[in-house]
Amino acid sequence: MRNLLRSLTALALVSSGLVVALSLPASASSKVVTCFKLEKNVVHTQKFHGTCGAGWSKKRPKPAPVADDSVETPGSASLTETGSTLLYPLWNIWAPAYQSEFSQVSVTTGGTGSGTGIADAASGTVNIGSSDAYLSSTQLTSTPNLLNIPLAISYQIIEYNIPGVTAHLKLSGTILSQIYQGSITNWNDSAIAAVNPGVTLPNLKIVALHRSDGSGDTFIFSQYLADSDPTWASKYNYGTTISWPSITNELGENGNGGMVSGCQATSGCIAYVGISYLNSVLSDGDTYAQLENGNGQYEMPTSTTVAAEAAGFTSKTPASGTISMIDGKINGGYPIVNYEYAIVNKSQSSTTTAKAIRSLLEWAIDPSYGQSSQYLGQVRFEPLPVKIVTQSYKQIKSIQ
Amino acid sequence: MGDEIASSGMTLPVSDPTRRAFGLRRVGSFLRGSEESAWRWSARVASLIPLVGLVFVLTVLAIKAWPAIKVNGPGFLTRSAWSPGSTYGAPVRTDGVLHPVGSSYGAWPLIAGTLQTSAIALIVALPISLGTAFALTERLPPWLARPISFFVEILAGIPSVIIGLWGVLTLGPFLADHVYPFISNNMPNVPLLRYFKGNVGYGEGLLTSGLVLGLMIVPIIASTARDLFLQVPPLPKEGAEALGMTEAEVARRVTIPWVRSGLIGATVLGLGRALGETIAIAMITGSILGKVAPNVYGTMTTIAATIVSQLDSAATDGTGFAISTLAEAGLVLAVISIVVNILARVIVNRTSQHLAPVGRG
Amino acid sequence: MATVTNSYPSTRSRRVREHFFRGMSLVALIFVIGPSIWLIADVVIRAAPHWQWSVLTTVPSGVGGGLENAILGTLVIMVGVLIIAGTIGVLTGIHFAELQQPRRNGKAGGNFLRMATDVMAGFPSIVLGYVGYVALCVGLHWGFSLLPALIVLSIMVTPYISKSTESALRQVPTNYREGAEALGMSTGYALRKVVIKSALPGIVTGLLIALAIAVGETAPLLYTAGITNNLPSTSLIHQPIAYLTYYVWTDYNQPIKATQYLSFDAALILIVLVLILLVSSRLLVNRTQRYAEGRR
Repeated sequence: MRNLLRSLTALALVSSGLVVALSLPASASSKVVTCFKLEKNVVHTQKFHGTCGAGWSKKRPKPAPVADDSVETPGSASLTETGSTLLYPLWNIWAPAYQSEFSQVSVTTGGTGSGTGIADAASGTVNIGSSDAYLSSTQLTSTPNLLNIPLAISYQIIEYNIPGVTAHLKLSGTILSQIYQGSITNWNDSAIAAVNPGVTLPNLKIVALHRSDGSGDTFIFSQYLADSDPTWASKYNYGTTISWPSITNELGENGNGGMVSGCQATSGCIAYVGISYLNSVLSDGDTYAQLENGNGQYEMPTSTTVAAEAAGFTSKTPASGTISMIDGKINGGYPIVNYEYAIVNKSQSSTTTAKAIRSLLEWAIDPSYGQSSQYLGQVRFEPLPVKIVTQSYKQIKSIQ
Repeated sequence: MGDEIASSGMTLPVSDPTRRAFGLRRVGSFLRGSEESAWRWSARVASLIPLVGLVFVLTVLAIKAWPAIKVNGPGFLTRSAWSPGSTYGAPVRTDGVLHPVGSSYGAWPLIAGTLQTSAIALIVALPISLGTAFALTERLPPWLARPISFFVEILAGIPSVIIGLWGVLTLGPFLADHVYPFISNNMPNVPLLRYFKGNVGYGEGLLTSGLVLGLMIVPIIASTARDLFLQVPPLPKEGAEALGMTEAEVARRVTIPWVRSGLIGATVLGLGRALGETIAIAMITGSILGKVAPNVYGTMTTIAATIVSQLDSAATDGTGFAISTLAEAGLVLAVISIVVNILARVIVNRTSQHLAPVGRG
Repeated sequence: MATVTNSYPSTRSRRVREHFFRGMSLVALIFVIGPSIWLIADVVIRAAPHWQWSVLTTVPSGVGGGLENAILGTLVIMVGVLIIAGTIGVLTGIHFAELQQPRRNGKAGGNFLRMATDVMAGFPSIVLGYVGYVALCVGLHWGFSLLPALIVLSIMVTPYISKSTESALRQVPTNYREGAEALGMSTGYALRKVVIKSALPGIVTGLLIALAIAVGETAPLLYTAGITNNLPSTSLIHQPIAYLTYYVWTDYNQPIKATQYLSFDAALILIVLVLILLVSSRLLVNRTQRYAEGRR
């Protein structure tokens, strides 16, 4: 017994020593300063050692207001965010940038999935939930104070792994629906070849990948299929999880990352992936498709096409932000575009927390701060149209 | 740890009076003071805690699962389709429970997947564990056995998420490229073995999951087996050898029967771990809901893996029905686990003629 | 007259079986050693090329950063589980061992308790985690924090500790107990001074292996501990805490490489931590064994 006590004391001493040793460097004061620069009405942030570089200043500049938005200065608070794995990389970019301006707020991000994000925001376990899908009527009935606030615009690509094919294949919603239902099983099927003259498609089995976890990507992809194919709409409908038709060659993957790595490992695969994973897709040697929009045009997923689609839906977006920008009849618009939402409870437990949340979200939707390309560009998202910024701002202001 | 003669395994008449003396001691100690009862009572209370924990977990599960049990009915265990229904439409009420239109859940592929992977895991783990235990106790010299048994402890300690990572990124592709095609091509086309032929897939599936799961339960069975084998008294073994039995026969006819109940206990512990393994399996099975694997390489899912991968999407069902169904699936798994444990106890009670005289000395 | 052959054993089939047995037991060893080495080598190969020592001293920020919050969080969780599950598990093991043989007539309760412990030993971790979330984090309004995580992990790990304690106590020969009895010691005193001392190596090994299991768990912590970028705070509730397995599970297929490397770094640190636990259990066992055998 004495020996056990001795050993346990030694273990405790060692671990407390480790704790002290590791926390010492972190608490040492750094000589790094955060400096700002206003360029083209966008605020850039950068850290310098000692003093700011030329053209940079320690004082936070006030950009000219583009939309109805102003960022409040919060008190000291600790915020938590979790949810969509699609928004997770963006939050990881936003959070330190926001904190360098408002160091009194600490922001923790998480990537547990849209469903958990919504559920946790509803129960108050986290302050901000992220979701690629808007709230359903049932969710709104059970938690009436929930808001879904558009934060950014994201879109989805259909990637495939066909050895030897580097062209961007033209695919339509009908073709995709048939692939996922098992009626088209091979890449050299006549339906695919018909819309892709000039591309030699090999005799390769199609392996259809879908998300096995609940996902906003499944939500918008299944909406696209439901819009294009009435059979799909009646049999499988759309949602964050659906009952996928049972076909011979299919795989379920966890997360966008799982979709990308699964497709890279599987010859002949086809998968739906969020745009922020484009770099991973390309570095794996895979490529993506052009999709048919509501007007029958085949569009590549680019900044222009996505902005066109978003612009076409701007007038139709209600004040609550609840809309899908899928398969619109918009000239030159890419058909799978969606808002990324922050799910927040209108009534917060404390005014300090509410102010901090408002401040963070206002910063995020401000064209001069969070919506600037230095952040969104890293994940290839598109900024919100001005009218939507105003609508989101109104929603944010209602958080008390 | 006890001397040779004393651990001969003979029934010592001294034990009975000893136990009686302890009983008297118990009465006497009541007079001796609170130190004695403090020990006993704290030990007694502590031993109740796992039971309290189990009852608590089962109760919470049952409460959460009740709405789904009412609506899904007994068909839950035999249906195959897993369909959340129209979560974005208006919900309906059945039996007083709110749920989305078209929701229909069936857990048969999950149950089948759980049982299949656990069966493969046991088939793989038992020979390896027993072989390892024999190698460590009989074949290897002690100076070699100690560092090698360290590897067994490493396998026990490695986090399951890392094993899952390795299974998905390294082992699965390796097996799918080099081992499975060989098996698939060379298996005769006979009814039972046809299960081993067919589409080999890309490494994620039933066989890979079973193999990795087996690897994870080997340490549990092997370390217990090794400890048990060390406790078998040498006299019966030496006697058997003197009669002319080979090592293999000694192992089969003396050692294993001696510790049979302990081995069954260890196997059940390993089986329990296999049934409940969550994270590594979720990464390796391929997570296909709605059907049982068509061949041994096919993608499927287990109850635990389904819960972890569907929990997030179940949260989007605003009626709470999906989460209720997952709780029901968890309840099914808990029941399977309890039934396996009870069966093991019955087997032990029926088949062991005498209890392993552990601790006789 | 029987012919005495020079080879042993006399029949061919028995010889074959003997060699098969000897060979297979060594092959089984390969199946244990091989994958363990392969696993560890795989993690090291993935993590080593991008390793930076700053990972140990910085917190995650943005897409990359370090793992200091997770390392300290895991250590705090480890110590917490040691205290809670260690106490309960060892006491439970003592109780079962002192309850004599499991089949003994009389205590039907003994069988029941033992079965409950066995069932909890393999219980699916995600179910425990979710129950903890529902009952503790949401039900009792503790939110993501340390205490629900400790409770859930302790429930998971106590059966292993009690099993190893019980088996270690059973291995103590009754000689020792009888000797103590003859000298007039009470059961409790005999327990402390004689029995537990000689069972100590087994108990300590069980404790450290259970700690290694607790440190490697993901699913229960996902739903009870939450996640945070801050270092562990002193409060047991309302403050989420970080842990290493979160980063392995969440970050291994992130699109930005820096985040991926964080996941492999976390895996490497976890393996090092587990190795430290196992090696120290070996060293402690050697020391206590010498003590138990009387060579003080």
